[in-house]
Amino acid sequence: MREEHGFGSDMHNNLLYGGRHVCFGALTDGLLRKTAYYGKKLLIFLGSIFLLSIVVFYISRLAPGDPLISYYGERAERMGPEEREWAKDRLGLKDSVSVQYVRWLTNALQGDFGISYKYKTDVMEVIGGRIGNTLLLGGTGFVLIFGLALLLGVLCAWHEGRLADRVICQVGTVTSCIPEFWLSLVLILIFAVNLKWLPSSGAYTAGRAEDPGDRILHLILPMTVVVTGHLWYYAYMIRNRILEELRADYVLLAKAKGMKRRSVMFRHCLRNVLPSYFSIMAISVPHIMGGTYIVETVFSFPGLGTLSYESARYKDYNLLMVLCMLSGAVVILCSLAAQTVNERVDPRMAGAGRTVLK
Amino acid sequence: MSGLLEVKNLSVSFDTPQGEVEAVRNVSFTLLPGEVLAVVGESGCGKSVLCKSIMKLLPATARIKSGSIRVNGADITGYGGREMQKLRGRLFSMVFQDPMTSLNPTMSVGAQIGEAVRLHQPRIPREIVHDRVRELMELTGIDRPGERMRQYPYHFSGGMRQRSVMAIALAGNPQILFADEPTTALDVTIQEQILTLFREIQKKLGTATVFVSHDLGVVARAADRVAVMYAGKIVEIGTVAEIFRDPKHPYTWGLMQALPAFSKGKEALRTIPGMPPTLLHPPKGDAFACRNAHALAIDYEEEPPMFRVSDTHYAATWLLDERAPKNIPWTDAGEGGQPDLILSNHPLAREHLHTKSGNAGGKNRMSEGAERYGGDTGTGDTERYGGDTGTEDAEPVLLDVQHLTHAFPLTKKVMVKAVDDVSFQIRKGEIFGLVGESGSGKSTVARCIMNIYKPNDGHPPNRNSRSRKRGFEDKDNADDLYGGSRILYKGIDTCNLAIFRKNRRMLQTTRQIVFQDSNSSLNQRMKVCDIITEPLRIQHITPPRGSLRAEAEFQMHYVGLDAEYLDKYPAELSGGQRQRVAIARALTMEPELLVADEPIASLDVSIQAQIVNLFRHLQREHGFSFLFIAHDLAMVEFLCDRVGVMYQGRLVETGKTQEVFANPRHEYTKTLLSAIPEYGFSL
Amino acid sequence: MITERLIMRMETEQRCGSNAVQKRYGIVEINSMETGAGKQESAERMDHRFEIVGIRPATQAEPARRRKWYEGRPVFAAVLLSAIICGCLGCDLIMTKDPAFLDLENYNVSPCREFLFGTDTMGRDIFSMIWYGGRVSLFIGIAATLLSTSAAIVFGAASGCAPDWADGLMMRLTEILLSVPGLLVVILLQAVLGKANVVSISFVIGITGWMGIAKVVRSEVRQIRNSEYVIASRCMGGGFFHILWKHLTPNFISSIMFMAVMNIRSAIVAESTLSFMGIGLPVDEITWGSMLSLPEQALLTNSWWIILIPGLFLIATLVCITSLGNYLRAGVNRGESNF
Repeated sequence: MREEHGFGSDMHNNLLYGGRHVCFGALTDGLLRKTAYYGKKLLIFLGSIFLLSIVVFYISRLAPGDPLISYYGERAERMGPEEREWAKDRLGLKDSVSVQYVRWLTNALQGDFGISYKYKTDVMEVIGGRIGNTLLLGGTGFVLIFGLALLLGVLCAWHEGRLADRVICQVGTVTSCIPEFWLSLVLILIFAVNLKWLPSSGAYTAGRAEDPGDRILHLILPMTVVVTGHLWYYAYMIRNRILEELRADYVLLAKAKGMKRRSVMFRHCLRNVLPSYFSIMAISVPHIMGGTYIVETVFSFPGLGTLSYESARYKDYNLLMVLCMLSGAVVILCSLAAQTVNERVDPRMAGAGRTVLK
Repeated sequence: MSGLLEVKNLSVSFDTPQGEVEAVRNVSFTLLPGEVLAVVGESGCGKSVLCKSIMKLLPATARIKSGSIRVNGADITGYGGREMQKLRGRLFSMVFQDPMTSLNPTMSVGAQIGEAVRLHQPRIPREIVHDRVRELMELTGIDRPGERMRQYPYHFSGGMRQRSVMAIALAGNPQILFADEPTTALDVTIQEQILTLFREIQKKLGTATVFVSHDLGVVARAADRVAVMYAGKIVEIGTVAEIFRDPKHPYTWGLMQALPAFSKGKEALRTIPGMPPTLLHPPKGDAFACRNAHALAIDYEEEPPMFRVSDTHYAATWLLDERAPKNIPWTDAGEGGQPDLILSNHPLAREHLHTKSGNAGGKNRMSEGAERYGGDTGTGDTERYGGDTGTEDAEPVLLDVQHLTHAFPLTKKVMVKAVDDVSFQIRKGEIFGLVGESGSGKSTVARCIMNIYKPNDGHPPNRNSRSRKRGFEDKDNADDLYGGSRILYKGIDTCNLAIFRKNRRMLQTTRQIVFQDSNSSLNQRMKVCDIITEPLRIQHITPPRGSLRAEAEFQMHYVGLDAEYLDKYPAELSGGQRQRVAIARALTMEPELLVADEPIASLDVSIQAQIVNLFRHLQREHGFSFLFIAHDLAMVEFLCDRVGVMYQGRLVETGKTQEVFANPRHEYTKTLLSAIPEYGFSL
Repeated sequence: MITERLIMRMETEQRCGSNAVQKRYGIVEINSMETGAGKQESAERMDHRFEIVGIRPATQAEPARRRKWYEGRPVFAAVLLSAIICGCLGCDLIMTKDPAFLDLENYNVSPCREFLFGTDTMGRDIFSMIWYGGRVSLFIGIAATLLSTSAAIVFGAASGCAPDWADGLMMRLTEILLSVPGLLVVILLQAVLGKANVVSISFVIGITGWMGIAKVVRSEVRQIRNSEYVIASRCMGGGFFHILWKHLTPNFISSIMFMAVMNIRSAIVAESTLSFMGIGLPVDEITWGSMLSLPEQALLTNSWWIILIPGLFLIATLVCITSLGNYLRAGVNRGESNF
C-alpha cells in the first residue's frame, strides 16, 4: 500500500498555516552520494565475481571426469597409475581443491590464467582467437533482435486487435515455439543440402578467412536462428508494455490537447517504455548468449560456445574457469547496468523515496 | 440564440462480449457560448461517456449509433481521427477526473504544458513557449512557475496536478472545456480551491464549460444550467435555480433528498433505494421506475417524452403528463422539513433548523444525544483529551489513545511523522468521527489502534538501542520506546507486546476493522459465506446459530443482503454490497469496538448514504463503540457523537459534533467547514 | 427480527409520506402542451396507466446473450494436445512396429505404406518412435515442471514471508542463478549426476527452472501480504498458516499457472536440446529430442522425414501448450486502450 505522508497537502495550505515540516535528518551531499552509489555497484560486481569463481572452481573439480583426457587425449586411458600421478602432479591437480584454488587465484590476479589442456597454449590466446566470432554473431544478433523487436512491438501495438496484430502474434507464437537446434537443422536441410546456396558449418571456408563476403555467407544461417529464436519473446514483451501505457490516462490528456496519434505513441508511450526496455536488454544478454552457444555447436561455428561446451565436457579446467568468469562478468555487469538504468533514467524511480512503501 | 455545441439525439454504444451496452441513449442538449452546463448523476449513468463521445476520445469498441454533434454549426459527427485531432485542444479540451494519472509521470510539467502550447502554435521560438507556459501556470494558480516548470508530476500534490492539467487544457484557448469530475479525486479543501479557480478562469476567459459531477453541492456553485442524467439519458435539464427549487423528475428529487443536509436531525439519511440499472439491456419505460416509490404503471411500459416546463426547463417523466395524478406525495419531508430545505445548510439557516428539529420529537438525534449525556448542553469548554463530556458522563472509557506518535521511514535516515502526539478517548457506545484530508494520518491512527502498526517516535533505532536490546517483553515502561505512545483499550496497554499477547484473544475478538476499499479487503477467491465466517473459524468459535452457514445467513440479513449472495464471489457484487459483506464479517464477532477506515469513500453518493444508515442502525442495535474515519464532513456530522479533526498528523480539535461544527476553533477546521457544499446560491 | 422490522418501517415511512409537502410540490403545474408522443386525451378521464404502483422489480428487456462455451477458448489447441497426449499414452495400441527394433534391411526408408513416417538411419520406424518417445518427452516436461514449481512455491513463499534482509538475500541468490546461462548449469549438474536417465534429466531441468516462478510467487506473496484482507485476517487473529493456506495460496496459484504451463514447454525444449547435443539422454532412450540427435547422416542423405516429422510433432505440442498457457494468463491488457 502506498500512502503519501505530509506531502499530500496543497501548497496553498502550507502557506496559509505555515506547513509544518515533519522531516528530520539531512540529505547527504549529492556528489558524495554519487560516488558512494557507483562504489557500491563496483563492490557488488567484484564480490559476485569472486563468489562465482569459487563456485565454478569447486563444482568443476568435484564433478567426475578425467581432465587428463583433454591434455593427453587417447594416451591418458593407457596410462599406468604412476604415470597418472606424475601427469596430475605436472598439471597441479594433486593438491586439495582449496590449495589449487588459492594458487589459481594468486596467478589469476597477476594476469596468468594458466594453459588450456586441450590446446596446450595460454587460455587467453585460445579465447582471443574465438571471441571475435562470438561477438560478431552474438553482438549483431543482439542488435538485430532488439531493433526488430522494437519495430514489431510498436507495429503490433499500433494495430492492436486488428488483422496485422493478430497475424503477427500468431506467427510470433509459433516461431517462439520452434527449438533453435531444430530450426538450424531445417535451415541446413533446405539451404545447404537441397538448394546448396549457403554453407552449413564453420565461420569461413578454409583459406578464405579474410574474405568478408565469405564470412557473411557463413553468418547468415546462424544469425537467422539466433534472431528468430529470441525475437518474438522480446517483441511481445514490448508490445504488451506499450499496450499497458496506452491504457494510461495521460494518453487521453495528450489526445485531448490535440496531439497526433504518432506523437502520442512516440513522444509519450515509447518514451515511458524505453527505460524498462533498456533494462530488459541488459538482463537478456545471458539468454541470448546461451542461445548463441547452442547455435554455435549446431553450425560448428568456432566461437566461445563450442569452446565452453568442449571445455566443460572434457574438463579443460583453466579454460572452463575463464569462460565461466567471462560469461559471469558479462551477466553481472548487465544486470547491474539494468539496475542503474532503472534507478537513474526513470524520474519516477528517483522520486520513489518520497512515497512511503509499507 | 444559436448554440456553440448542439447535440441531437445522440446514442453511443459499447460492444462488449456480453452484448451491446447502451451508455448514452438519445441525448439532446445545446451549450451556449460562455455558459457552464453541469451534468449530474450517479456513476455509470453515461456522464463522462457523453463528454468523451463528443471529443471522440472513446475506445474503439464504442460507436456513435445515431444522432448528430454540431459545433459552431458544423456537423462533426462523422469526423475521423485526423480531423478531430485538429479540433481537439483548439475548439474543445478536457480535464479528467484523476489528476494523479492524467499527467505523464516521466515528463516535467513544464514540458507537458509546453507541448500543448506548441501543438497549437508550431514553430514559435522557445522563449515565447516558455513565457506562455509561465502565463498559463500563473493563470491556473501554480506558484513559482519558473521553478515548478522543471519539476515532475510526482513532486506535485493532487491539487497542483489538477491545476497543471487545466493549464494544458487551456493552452490552445479552447471554446469549450469539458471537465470530467475534476474535483472528485481531491481533498475537500482542495476541491474548494479548484472549484473557485474554475469559476474564475471561466469568467475571465468566457470558455463554455460542460462540468460533469456527481456532487450536487459542487454543481450548485459551479454551473449556470444543470442536466440530470440517469441510465444514459438526460432526464431533466434546466437552470440551476429551476432544478434546485423546482425539480420535476423523481430522480432529481431523489438525488437532492440523499444530500445529508436534507436529513439533518433525522433518524436516517434519505437514500434512493436500489442501484442504477446496467446499461447492457436498459429496462423498458422509465429506467428510474424500479427505484421510485411513486412510479406510475406507465413508467414500466412506455418511455416518457421530454415535457416542457418552461423555456429552459425540461423533464422526462410521465408525472408531467396531464393524465398523471396531480397530488403525488413526493416526499415525506414533513416533520421539521422546510420547503426550502435545500438552502438550509447555509450557516444561518442551519442554526434555525437545529432548534426546530431539536424540539420535534424524541426520535431525533439532538434530543437523544441530550438524553445520553444527561442533558449536558455543552458549555463549549472543549478540553483536548476528550474530556469535553465532563464528569457527568456515566459511560466508561473504552479506548484511550494517549500521545500516539507514529513515524515512517522516508529514507534510511529520514523519518516522517505520520501521526504526531494524538490523544483522544472513545467511550462505550459512542460514535467518534475522525476527519481530515488524505495524508493527515487518520488511517495510521486506525492501524495503530488495531495493532497493525507499532507506534514509534521516529528516532532511528540505534539511538535507543539499549531499550531495543532488552526487547519488548521485559519492558517496564514502554514510554521511551514508543515515544510516550499509549493506547489503552479497556485499560489494557495494547502497545505493549507482552500485554497484547496475554490478552490476544480478547483483543482480536472484541475489536474489528472495516477498510476503505471493499475490493481489496475481501479475498477475491473466497465465497461470501466463507468471508463472513472467517473470524469464527480463526478463533474456533462454535457458531451460535448452529452451522457456519446459518451464522453467515443471519449476518447477511442483518446488513441487509439477500442470502442468495452467500455463494457468490466478491467480484460479482457491487461496491455497496461488498462493503456490507465487510461489515458483516466484522460483526460476526459481536465487537465492542468497530474501527471503520474511510468505509464510504470509494462508494457512490446514494450508496454512501445507505451504508451510513446501516452503520447508524447497527450501532444502535449492538451498542458498540465506533471509530468512524472519513473525509466527508456531512456524513460525519450526521453520524457521529463526537468528532476529532486531524491536520498534518496532529489532532487539532476534538469535541461534540454540534459544537465543533457550530463554532470551530482551529483555523483548519474552519477551512474544512467552509468547504462543505452549501446549496445556497444567489438567485 | 429487529432489522427486518426497522427496514420495513423505514420503507413504509418512505412510501406513505405525509401531506405537508404536497401543498408545495404535489401539484405539478404545466403551462404548456407536452412535446412528446402527443397523446391528446381528455384530462378528466383518469388513465389506469397513470396509477401509482410504486417499486416493482425491473423488467429485464431480454436475457443477456450467452457466450457460446467455446468462444474465447483455445478449443483447437486443447483438442490437438489431448489427441497427442492420448496417442502417446496409448502408444501400444497405435504403434505399428517395435520402436526400438533396428531393422537393418530397411534403414533410411522414406515414408511409405509400411513405414508411415519412414525409418531413421538405424532402421527404426519413426511413426512408432514418435508415440513412444512422446511419452517420455511429456513425462520429463511434466515431472520437471512439478519439481520446479513446487520448489518455486516453497522458496518464493518463504522469501515473501521472510523479514526484509532475508528476503533481499534470497532474491539476490535467485537473480544470480537466473543470470547464469541455464545450459551451463545443466551440463555441470548432469556431469555430477553421472549417466543420464529419464529421472535424472527431469531433476536437472526442474532444478534449474524454478527461479522465474519463485520471483513471481515472492512478489505476489509480498503484495498479498500487505493487502487489506490479509491485514483484516491478522486483526481477527489469523495465524501464519491460516493466511498462507486460505489467502496466499489461492491467490498466487492463479498467477503462476501461466508460468507453470510455460515451464512444461521449456522443459520439453530443454530435454530435446540436451539430447540433441548429446549431453542428455542416450540415443537408445527414445524421446523427441534424441530422435533428432543424429542429424549428420540424415543431412548427408537428405532424409528430410527424419528431421521434419518428429520436429513438427514437437512444435505442434509446444504451440498447443503455449496457447493454453496464454489462455490461462488472465488479466493481461484488460480495459480499453485510450489510443
